[in-house]
Amino acid sequence: MLKRSLAIITILIIGYWLAQSLAGVPFGEDKMLVGQYYLDHVKDQTGAVNAVTAIVVNYRGFDTLGEVTVLFIASTGVGALLWRKRKKRTAKTEGSVVLTTGSELLFPFVVLFGSYIFIHGHLTPGGGFPGGATIATAFLLLYMAFVSYEIPHKAFEKTEGLAGMGYVLVGLTGLAIGGYFLFDWIWQTWQWGTGNIGRLFSGGFIPIIYTLIGIKVGTELSGIIDNMLKEEVRE
Amino acid sequence: MNALAALGEILVFIGTFFYFLSALGLIRMPDVYNRMQTSTKSATLGSLGVMIGVGIWALGEDFGSVAWLTKTIVISVFLLLTNPISAHTLIRAAYKSGIPLWEGSVMDKYREHIEAKAKEAETVGAPESETPEEGGEE
Repeated sequence: MLKRSLAIITILIIGYWLAQSLAGVPFGEDKMLVGQYYLDHVKDQTGAVNAVTAIVVNYRGFDTLGEVTVLFIASTGVGALLWRKRKKRTAKTEGSVVLTTGSELLFPFVVLFGSYIFIHGHLTPGGGFPGGATIATAFLLLYMAFVSYEIPHKAFEKTEGLAGMGYVLVGLTGLAIGGYFLFDWIWQTWQWGTGNIGRLFSGGFIPIIYTLIGIKVGTELSGIIDNMLKEEVRE
Repeated sequence: MNALAALGEILVFIGTFFYFLSALGLIRMPDVYNRMQTSTKSATLGSLGVMIGVGIWALGEDFGSVAWLTKTIVISVFLLLTNPISAHTLIRAAYKSGIPLWEGSVMDKYREHIEAKAKEAETVGAPESETPEEGGEE
């Protein structure tokens, strides 16, 4: 009781303090400095209509590379923590026919939609991370619906590594062509897709990188799901 | 405002009405199964009404185009397919984890079915693939 009330009082004090500091910040006013630059130049500098993905991949691509690395480390960490020689699914009960049939039917559509999200990252909201998470959801669906489903490990792990390498390779190509890491060579040097901004084949290297990120995130999260669902079996 | 927009507005209104009924069912119904029954059914119908209504509504407006209706139809087909499956799974899980029926219920055929199956397995004896359990070897 004392502990709880102390915690509540502390949190209230912290909340009041935060609210005090936020009270001085003007909301709803035009305070953009860098943001205005992004909004003004995003189309002719990156070819993307979606300013968010343009910033995330193009202007500040380094952060995205870091995020991908964080995810990779998380996946590797889960794999290392839960590593055992023999692991098996230990689902107790069979799913009902409605569930298994439904997930079997839905699986390709969910994967299709996930691919749609990451391919159209430069045009619509979304991008590599939501698309990859959607694809991982499709695999989670299969994991949940079937007693003994397992992703093809060899292919998945290789794809994950290759996709991550592909991202770095695109960045290094930019270094070779344009002079700095993650330079958008497809847009800046080749001028490819300048004629059709707002259509699918535009946006410089954003769709390429987002496809790679989507594949990587999808396989990675599926791997984490797989690791967490399996349990040790005794001989 | 033209006829299409008016039709869309009516559909959205019907949809929200069913949403309201679904929320009301959640409060009013006595047990999990009845609550699921009322909420999922009317929420699915309500969502269909709202989404198709928005699509048709957008057709009638100046800014609207067919893109809205296409998207909403895709979403509603998806919802129409997934919502009943999730409701089915939830109810089944609820039953399997032993949540009781409402005390006013008269029949529980599923329980009878499960018990009959268990009895059958007992009388036949020696269930298939009875490997001896190896435990306590630590």
